[in-house]
Amino acid sequence: MAKRLKVANPARCIGCYSCMMACARTWYDTISLKNSRIDIQTRGGIETPYVQIVCHACIDPPCMRACPLGALSKRKGGGVNLNKEICDGCGNCIEACLMGAIHLDAENKAVICKHCGVCPKFCPHDVLEMVEVEDSGEVKITDTGPAPDTSPVSPTASHKDLYGGEEPGEEE
Amino acid sequence: MTTEEYAIEGLKNILYIDLGSQSYHVEERPDLYEKYLGGVGVATNLMLEEYKEGTGPLDPEMPIILSTGPLSGIYPTCTKAVALFRSPHNGELGESYAGGHLAMSMRYSGYETIVIKGASRYPVYVAVHDDKVTFRDASSIWHLSSAIDVGKILREVEPGAGRRSIIRIGPAGEMGVTYADVNVDTYRHFGRLGLGAVFGAKKLKAVLISGNRELKSPEHNAYRKTCNLLYDLIVKTGLTEKYHNLGTSENILVLNELKGLPTRNLQSAFFEGAETISGELFAEKYLLRRVSCAGCPIGCIHIAMLKRAFSKAHEYEALNISYDFELIYALGSNLGVADPEAVLELIEACEKAGVDIISMGVVLAWATEMQQRGKISTDETLGLELSWGDKGAYLRAIDLLVKAPNDFYRALGKGIAYASKKYGGEEFAIQLGGLEIPGYHTGLGNIVGLAVGFRHSHLDNAGYTADQKAFNHPISDEEIVDTIIEEEDRRSILNCLVPCLFGRNVYTYENVILALKSIGINRTEEELKELGKDIFRKKYELKKKFGFKFENLTLPKRFFETPSTTGMVEEERVRRAIEMYREKRGV
Ligand code: SF4
Ligand code: SF4
Ligand code: SF4
Repeated sequence: MAKRLKVANPARCIGCYSCMMACARTWYDTISLKNSRIDIQTRGGIETPYVQIVCHACIDPPCMRACPLGALSKRKGGGVNLNKEICDGCGNCIEACLMGAIHLDAENKAVICKHCGVCPKFCPHDVLEMVEVEDSGEVKITDTGPAPDTSPVSPTASHKDLYGGEEPGEEE
Repeated sequence: MTTEEYAIEGLKNILYIDLGSQSYHVEERPDLYEKYLGGVGVATNLMLEEYKEGTGPLDPEMPIILSTGPLSGIYPTCTKAVALFRSPHNGELGESYAGGHLAMSMRYSGYETIVIKGASRYPVYVAVHDDKVTFRDASSIWHLSSAIDVGKILREVEPGAGRRSIIRIGPAGEMGVTYADVNVDTYRHFGRLGLGAVFGAKKLKAVLISGNRELKSPEHNAYRKTCNLLYDLIVKTGLTEKYHNLGTSENILVLNELKGLPTRNLQSAFFEGAETISGELFAEKYLLRRVSCAGCPIGCIHIAMLKRAFSKAHEYEALNISYDFELIYALGSNLGVADPEAVLELIEACEKAGVDIISMGVVLAWATEMQQRGKISTDETLGLELSWGDKGAYLRAIDLLVKAPNDFYRALGKGIAYASKKYGGEEFAIQLGGLEIPGYHTGLGNIVGLAVGFRHSHLDNAGYTADQKAFNHPISDEEIVDTIIEEEDRRSILNCLVPCLFGRNVYTYENVILALKSIGINRTEEELKELGKDIFRKKYELKKKFGFKFENLTLPKRFFETPSTTGMVEEERVRRAIEMYREKRGV
């Protein structure tokens, strides 16, 4: 089943950049923020909510259309696959993406999300999710019942309860 | 192994900025990083190189040194930059740590350490964008009434959003309040010991650093694995839970229950109003969101929203204010303020002014007691009556203190060690080494820790945790001293690297060694411990040069009159423990 990355709960972002660090170290052999395919931005410093910029997994990707060399092809589940060999860094795809989700790396190759599913594993605040989609990229409608109550069981439900489960013997 | 071999970029560079001539240059110092790794180790050595005997804290030649370490910006929760300077507050070693985006920006700009010297003739700010350094006239933002607004303006005029850090001073720094802070990215600070006044004396309004380089990763798979391991320890175990959940303000109720929460200028260590200013209450009623320093998944920065009506026609303003334990102690229990909204408003006033809130709270508490005892009158305060819990009076006092319209307020702006010499009341001026005390009155460990600590801060050696130990199972005074020494060395090592101390239980020796190894730096536990001892010696050398003498330490009577968590503490016992420390340390 095809999946795509979704910024499910943008307002929950704490601006930790864990997703960016994880993405960059997964797909590059260097340490950086700049090679991350997801970009956490500030609009008014830390005083205002963070903005998460990442590929929207378009069903009919405009970046692909804009590429004069055919370096981008349709990805199963939406978005694109990049053929690095072909990409020459012309930047037309960057222009075409209104999300602002594409930039170039040091070798002048496009940096675009692969919807690989790594970054949600490193988001401590439930911002990012992988969702199932049709191979075409169309959203699948599976839930038809009432929206689940997402409020925590207790107002002080902890990070650990939410993300780590119970782990014995660590009360210090 | 040489620094060249580890080939982590930015682990050799030092950027020197001269404000007098508006020039800069970069020096490569692999020798220093090789031996001291970074952070406080490198900064201390640079300060020893730079300091010329007799230079005063506010003299132009006195440098400000900002430094990060090999783990900064590349491992989770390694978010701190250290600032080293000579404190205008007590003349001693000025050392302070701040998070926000600073360490990450410095690291990715390729300047792991920055030395700022000289003074400008007119207000300036310095912008560092990767390798470009520019000096810009800051006259138009000098005299702004709020340190917060400085960030708002510079964000618009400079590029680098999201990858930059803006550190700046408020009016207190411009006016030379000796405990003025430097605001880092709105919600973090170089708080203690007056770095803000040093900026002010240099006519340096702000420094903006943005960096977006790639760093080499010599053993990338090892690096990735270690990142994953550390991330899991931070997020999925209980090791940092407390900082994420209620945050440090969880301690308000804990310390109060233990009778260790300084109240009304430490006339008591129990505050009857603690419930309403507890971390629990703030979280339930005011917590709006949490944010994090760049690179830290903990998210300990608790931001409260205060909705304030300003007319009867349902007109409101909403203020976002970050709070934590020390602030609630300083402007809450220690001033007898039990109204959480008043605490938030007082925090906000201090944030705008750009002052260290612990010092401010203690100064106001001392002034209140002085007035109540009739040692000063409304002549000194220009008519203002200070009384416990009176928000309006305290808000006005903060304002007057920064504006300094007379000698009394000017004296308050130099801290209680100074003011009490002038006006009396030294017995209840709750300071150690000239620094107003943080929110613990737990017993011997705390007092000794503050007395002997490099910068008289609870963060030097966390003496209060030794008291906690003693409270659970009685231990000897010698064991308390040993605990302090051990913690001091451990922190010295961490402060070279530089993780946030909230991650200290994650960054154990074992994990530090692994984290270093995974980026190609090999160190054994013995080598690290030796480094800790070396830094201790170097810092004491520096302290001596700045004029610190154990003989000059005064211990205010108040510490010995108010029962602590572990009972009454006698002065004699403290003196003996300090002697014990000196003997063990050879200082
Ligand atoms: S899904 Fe994968 S490629 Fe896309 S931003 Fe996350 S880690 Fe990067
Ligand atoms: S990991 Fe999650 S919380 Fe952290 S910056 Fe990314 S989206 Fe925001
Ligand atoms: S724990 Fe808090 S202060 Fe420390 S690095 Fe994380 S967010 Fe910053």
